[in-house]
Amino acid sequence: MSNWNVWSVSVVIIALLIIAPVLAIFYSAFLGDTSLWPHLFSTVLPRYIFNTLILMFGVGSLSLIFGVSTAWVITRYNFFGKNVLEWALLLPAAVPTYIIAYTYTDIFEYAGPFQGMLRDFFGWENAQNYWFPNIRSMGGAILVMSAVLYPYIYLMTRASLLTTPISFYQTSSIYGRNTFMHVALPLARPGIVAGLALVLMETISDFGTVDYFALETLTLGVFNVWLGMNSLSGASQISSVLFIFVVILLTLEYLARRKQRFHEKSSGQNTMPEEEVSPAGKLICILICLVPLILGFIIPVSILLNFVLKGFAIIDFAEIISTTFSSVFLSLSASIFIMLVSVLMIVVANYKSSSAQRIIIYLSSCGYAFPGTILAVGIVVFVGWLNDLFYFHLSYWAGGFIILIFAYMIRFLAVSSGAIRTGMLRVHPNLMDVSKTMGVGFVTTLRKIIIPLIYMNILIGGILVFVDILKELPITLLLRPFNFETLATYVYQYASDEMLEESSFAAIIIIIAGLGPVIFLNSTIKRISKKKESAAPNY
Amino acid sequence: MKFFIIFCNVLLITILSSKSFASGEVNVYSYRQPILIDPFFEEFTKSTGIKVNVLHAKKGLLERLLSEGANTPADLILTVDISRLKQFVEKDVLIPIDSSILKKNIPSHLRDSKNRWFALSKRARIVVVSKDRVPIGAITKIEDLAEPKWKGKICTRSGSHAYNRSLLASIIATHGEEGAEEWAKGLVKNLARKPEGNDRAQAKAIYEGVCDVALMNTYYFGKMKFNEKNPEQKDWAKAINLIFTNQTDRGNHINVTGGGIVKYSKNKENAIDLLEFLTNPKAQMLYSSMNYEYPVNLKVPLSDELKLWGEFKEDELPIEKLAELAPIAQKIINRVGW
Repeated sequence: MSNWNVWSVSVVIIALLIIAPVLAIFYSAFLGDTSLWPHLFSTVLPRYIFNTLILMFGVGSLSLIFGVSTAWVITRYNFFGKNVLEWALLLPAAVPTYIIAYTYTDIFEYAGPFQGMLRDFFGWENAQNYWFPNIRSMGGAILVMSAVLYPYIYLMTRASLLTTPISFYQTSSIYGRNTFMHVALPLARPGIVAGLALVLMETISDFGTVDYFALETLTLGVFNVWLGMNSLSGASQISSVLFIFVVILLTLEYLARRKQRFHEKSSGQNTMPEEEVSPAGKLICILICLVPLILGFIIPVSILLNFVLKGFAIIDFAEIISTTFSSVFLSLSASIFIMLVSVLMIVVANYKSSSAQRIIIYLSSCGYAFPGTILAVGIVVFVGWLNDLFYFHLSYWAGGFIILIFAYMIRFLAVSSGAIRTGMLRVHPNLMDVSKTMGVGFVTTLRKIIIPLIYMNILIGGILVFVDILKELPITLLLRPFNFETLATYVYQYASDEMLEESSFAAIIIIIAGLGPVIFLNSTIKRISKKKESAAPNY
Repeated sequence: MKFFIIFCNVLLITILSSKSFASGEVNVYSYRQPILIDPFFEEFTKSTGIKVNVLHAKKGLLERLLSEGANTPADLILTVDISRLKQFVEKDVLIPIDSSILKKNIPSHLRDSKNRWFALSKRARIVVVSKDRVPIGAITKIEDLAEPKWKGKICTRSGSHAYNRSLLASIIATHGEEGAEEWAKGLVKNLARKPEGNDRAQAKAIYEGVCDVALMNTYYFGKMKFNEKNPEQKDWAKAINLIFTNQTDRGNHINVTGGGIVKYSKNKENAIDLLEFLTNPKAQMLYSSMNYEYPVNLKVPLSDELKLWGEFKEDELPIEKLAELAPIAQKIINRVGW
C-alpha cells in the first residue's frame, strides 16, 4: 500500500495544522534569549518541577484507585443502587476544577462550616487550639483534582471491561485464578492507561486549582515569567519543559499499547454476567462508588446550591439562558467536528500511513498538555501568520467562531483520539483486508464496519470533549469575539476575584448542561452491551 | 453531513447577527472585569449613542493585538497595573493622542510624556492591621513589616501578583535592589502562612485571628464594608484598621488603571471620546463612589466613603519607574520565595 495516498497526505496536513500553534510556542521559546534560566534554575525551577511531579503522581494514583475500582464493581457485581451509580459516577466530570477548588476551600477552611462544627463540638476557641489540615495544600489539590478527573479512567476502563469476552473470565475461573488481577486488569490496561494519560495531561495544564491553592507548579511558573518578568519567550521555554513531560507520557502510553495489542476475534460474544455478592459485599460495593461521587459531585454541588439558596447568586435569567444557549451550541458543534476529524485521523493512521506519518498524527494530540492560556497565545500567533498570508474576509464574529473551534480541536484532540484509539485496538486488522477482497472501498468499509464497531468509543470521546469544552476557560476567554460569553467565562468574571458566590447559579448550569450528555452516554453504553448479549451475531 | 448543515447554520447566523463595526461603535480590549467597567460604558452609550463592544481577558490581550496587526478590530485598551500599560507602549501598539481634555483632566505624572497611555484611576496599596491586636501607631512605614517583632503575624497574597510586585518595585526605587531584597526577606520571615488568596482573603484571615497585619489595595476595604450580597464580609472590614504608610517621608505607594488608543483603530474618534469620557467629572465620581478607587482628575472631590479613610500623601515616584523595575522585583520575589 502506498503511504502517500490522498487519505494519509490530507490527514498529515490536518495534523500539521494542529501542531502548528505548538510549534509557534517553540519558535517563540527558541527565539528568545535564555538569560533567565540561570536565575530560574537557582531559584524557583527545581521547586516547580518537584511540585509538578508530586502533583502528577498523587492525582494519577488517586484517580486510578477511584476510576478502576468503581469501573470494576459496577461492571462485575450486582448491588442496590447500581443502576443510578453507574451513570452518577460520571457526574464529577462536569465539575470544573476551578469550581471544586473554590467550594472545598469554602467548606474546609478555618471559617468554613466544617471546622466551625468541630470547634463547637470540642469547645476549641481558635486556630492555636487544634490542628486541621490546610485544604489549600498539595494534599488538598490532589484530592479535589482526582475527585473530578477520575471519570476519564472510569469511563475508559468500563468500556474495556464491558467488551472483554466472557470466555476469558471462564477460563480464569477454571484455573482458579483471580479474575480481576489476571484477566480484567491486564485486558483493560489500554483503556486504563488512556484514561490515566488524559488525567495526567489535565493535571499538568491545570491553572485554576494550583493558582487558587497557591501551589508552585510549572504552570504557575509560566505565568510568573510571562507576566512578572515580562518574558513571553521565557514562559514558552518553561512550557516546552512541560511538553517534554508530556512527550514522555505519550511515549509510555504508546509503548504500553503496542505491547498490549490484542484483537477480539469474535466481537459478538457474550459479556460476562453480573455476579451476586453477600450483603457485606454489596455494602462495600456501594461505598466504593459513593466515596468519589460524594467528593467530586455531591459536596461541590451542595455548596453551590447553598450559595444560590442563600441569595448570594446573581440570577439574571435572560442572560443565563442566552449564555447557556451559546455555550451548548458552541460545545456541540465543536465536539462533532472534533470527533469527525479524530475518527478520520486515527483510522487513516491505522490503515494507510507509514510510521513517520503515524508519529506526526500521534503528536497532534499534545496540545492537551499546555497551559490553556499559553496554547491560546500560540494559536493567536499562528492565526496571525495565516492572516498575513490570506486575510479571510469574514466578519470578526464568524472568524472568531472558526478560530475557537480550531483551538478546541488543538486542545482536546487528545481526548477524542484517546477514546477512539482504545476502540480501534479491538478492531481486527483483517476486517479491512477482507473488505478489500470483496472489492469494497475504504469509505464504505469505514462506514459499514469500522464506525459501527467503535461507535461506543466515538460517543465516549465526543461526550468527554463536549463536557471539556463546556468547562474550558482560558482559550475561550482570549479567542472569543466581542460581547460573547460562555457559561465558563461568565462564571470566571466573578470567580477570578474569588466571588464565586455571585456566579454559583451559572456554575450549576455548567454542571447541569454536562449532565444530559452523560446520562445519554450511559444509556447508550448499556444498550450496546445489551444488544451484544442478546443478539450475539457471529462474524 | 448533519454536522455540515449545523455548521453552515452557525456561520449564517453569526454572519447575519454580526453587524459590521460601523461608526456608531467602539471596540474595547479590557483587562478590567465587566462588572467593574460596564456601568461606565452604559453611561457613555446613554450620553453619546455610541455602542461599546467589549472583550475581557486577564492574560494575552497584548499578544492577540500584536498578532492581529493592522486587521485588529480593537480601538481602545483598558488595563490594570502600570507595568501592563507600559508593555503595550513598548510593543508600539498605542498611538499618541493630543487631547486638550485629557491633558486638562489628568495630572502630568499620571500620563505618558508622549501621550500614549493615560491613567484613569488610582489605588493605594496600604497596610491593614487588626483593630484589637495592633495598637495605633505600631506600624507607620512599609519598612516596618520586615521587623522581627512581626514574626508570624503577617499575611499577604503571593509576591508574584502584580500588586505586590509593583509595591516591591517602589521599594527598590527607594532602597536599591539589595535593600529591597533585605526587606522582602524580612517580610517572608514574618509571614503567618504561605501566601495565598487575594487581598480580601487577607482581611478575612485577620478577622479569623490567623494573622494581625496584611497588605491590601484600598478599594477592597470599601467592597467588603458595603457587601450586601455577602454580609459576613462586613465583619471582616470591621476587624481592621487602615494605615497609609510612609506619611512622613515619601508617601504611600500607588498604582493605576489606565488606557490607550490602538494604533490601528478604525473608530479612533469614538475611542478618544470614550477615553475622555472616562476622565470627566461624572465618570471619575463613579470610580470613587462605586469602585472605591481614587480619581485621577484632581477637580473631582472624593466620595464620602473615601473621605472617611482620610487624605494621604502619595509616593510621587514617576509611575513609569514601577514598570521599569517590575522584572527586577520579580527576581527578588523568586529568590526570597514570597
